[in-house]
Amino acid sequence: MELVVTKNFGNPQSWTLESYRKAGGYQALAKVLNEMTPEDVSDLVKESGLSGRGGAFFPTGLKWQFVRGDPKTPRYVVINGDESEPGTYVNRYSLELDPHLMLEGMLIAAYSCNATLGYVYIRGEYGLAHERTQAAIREAYEAGYLGSNILGKEGFDFEVTFRRGAGAYIVGEETALFNSLEGKRGNPRYKPPFPTNVGVWGLPTAINNVETLSAAPAIVENGAEWFQNLGHGEATGTKMYCLSGRVAKPGVHELPLGTTARELIYDYGGGVLDGRPLKGFKPGGASSAALGPEHLDAALEPRSMGALGTIMGTGGVVVYDDTVCMVDAAYRDALFFEEESCGFCIPCREGAPNLVQICERIMHGQGSLDDLDLLEDLGASMMASFCGLGQFAHQPVRGAVRAFRDEFEAHIRDRHCEAGVCRFATNGRLA
Amino acid sequence: MAIHAGAPRRSTLAPGDHAKLDDLRARLADLKDEPGATLEALYAAQDVFSYVPPEAVTMIAEELRLPESEVFGVLTFYTMFHRKPSAKYVLRVCRDLSCHISGAPAVLQAFNEALGTRVGDVTEDGLFETESVSCLGLCDLQPAALVNLEQHGPLDAEKARSLLADLRAREA
Ligand SMILES: Cc1cc2nc3c(=O)[nH]c(=O)nc-3n(C[C@H](O)[C@H](O)[C@H](O)COP(=O)(O)O)c2cc1C
Ligand code: SF4
Ligand code: FES
Repeated sequence: MELVVTKNFGNPQSWTLESYRKAGGYQALAKVLNEMTPEDVSDLVKESGLSGRGGAFFPTGLKWQFVRGDPKTPRYVVINGDESEPGTYVNRYSLELDPHLMLEGMLIAAYSCNATLGYVYIRGEYGLAHERTQAAIREAYEAGYLGSNILGKEGFDFEVTFRRGAGAYIVGEETALFNSLEGKRGNPRYKPPFPTNVGVWGLPTAINNVETLSAAPAIVENGAEWFQNLGHGEATGTKMYCLSGRVAKPGVHELPLGTTARELIYDYGGGVLDGRPLKGFKPGGASSAALGPEHLDAALEPRSMGALGTIMGTGGVVVYDDTVCMVDAAYRDALFFEEESCGFCIPCREGAPNLVQICERIMHGQGSLDDLDLLEDLGASMMASFCGLGQFAHQPVRGAVRAFRDEFEAHIRDRHCEAGVCRFATNGRLA
Repeated sequence: MAIHAGAPRRSTLAPGDHAKLDDLRARLADLKDEPGATLEALYAAQDVFSYVPPEAVTMIAEELRLPESEVFGVLTFYTMFHRKPSAKYVLRVCRDLSCHISGAPAVLQAFNEALGTRVGDVTEDGLFETESVSCLGLCDLQPAALVNLEQHGPLDAEKARSLLADLRAREA
């Protein structure tokens, strides 16, 4: 299979400019500057079907067209490298192994958007990624890929600033990331206006995930049709999937968008750890609801995941075997969102701890069947949250009840945990 | 000048640390005119003191011309900033799903037992403290941990103990 975003990972010193150039790096940028107009670039990317790999799958070419169409200047391109969705580590690989690919994609975006300024924002915990990305930016300046009149193109100027986060999942949400870049608390902002018109410092901004931008150079070189054909139907191109949890071989695999969970887990991940039975899997991070083994043949792409009541999300697939208690797994997700809720709006700030408490009750044998209905009501009220975090936080818990209701009921009715994870209280006290 | 230059909250500075305020002021000189540099300024303070003392908040507010309340608000928003002296080696153990179902609780317990501490306590020699943190993006190394920013995993109780021994050997 042809690789788009991981093709250089195996090259020696793949993160250096020398290695990147040897692999044909920055030729797509030269082609764009010499042969294409900014409109050509966004049209090409639109035609390719490339959509946001950060999890929302918004059409990338359209985003660039919107930014270019806003008369305010300067315009910005921002790379979202905040990757903090549990079970997801694909951007880390790109940042550590091929930062120039993403910078070249950023420059292509900048040309298409008529943008002159950029930020690369990487989560605070990714130390090696900070080093390699900063070094790549320095190399790119020295070689004339960044700065003024880039590659001799009169009037094409682009300056990049590197920034790191300091521990906060919510900052991955685009408007929260702008606040963080501006030196503020990472609370989200109201949308609309959207970032394409009012982004960082109130100016038009194309914010894209690391993986999205990393796909741009190959699309320029090989064409829209080539990229379309790499995927499955309307799900065009490839996706970096990654595996963790109870899987034999955790790891990153770039595969056609729309690969099935069965292929990913069994053909690439070596199956379930120790050959145990598969209980279920999560398609893409904590925000996605888990599915049972009957859905192994569903395609990991936004549409088919949506039809099953979950989301494709980040493609960070987490595998469950029979040692995992689904109430405990749902509880872990709830704890994550309780911890990471920014506290700005009430449905999320109050709702997330409620999710935690309900799970705790059930795990301790103190739940009631009414709690399962309460979860539905709570979820409905959390849909009124200000941003995606609160709107998604209840989905994994409700999804677990939907897909594994028997297990929840066994905890409640029989004080029985099939996986042997939960310890039940005697005479009403917590164990 | 700070827009709001209130008295510093109760000082946590050790007597010897007052001289370090000059180091911080020097480091802030580079950040003064850079828009949005509050997080980097807090990182600078943490580099100098191992945490961000109230005096540093006041100084950052003055140098960056921000309300002190805003700097304090940023400090408390992000989990990687410390508000009390932190250890030389901060052991951040992931507690999220993939690590949890791969044995993370035993790793955290092994660290804490070997150190005789609980999460957030600094050992008496100032070398170690543990934190229980959200997904580190190291899920392929499940269960994973960071030693400051250095990646470790997959860990188990025994590997956790030998990691501590390695770190102690570095100090000897
Ligand atoms: C709570 C929350 C967290 C998010 N975290 C990330 C993240 O870590 N990385 C990312 O690229 N997008 C993240 N997003 C999506 C961004 O808001 C945005 O859609 C994305 O950066 C756009 O880039 P793309 O179109 O290339 O995917 C998050 C969204 C929400 C609601
Ligand atoms: S939904 Fe949660 S994370 Fe989003 S603004 Fe509200 S409190 Fe903050
Ligand atoms: S779940 Fe532990 S590093 Fe991601």
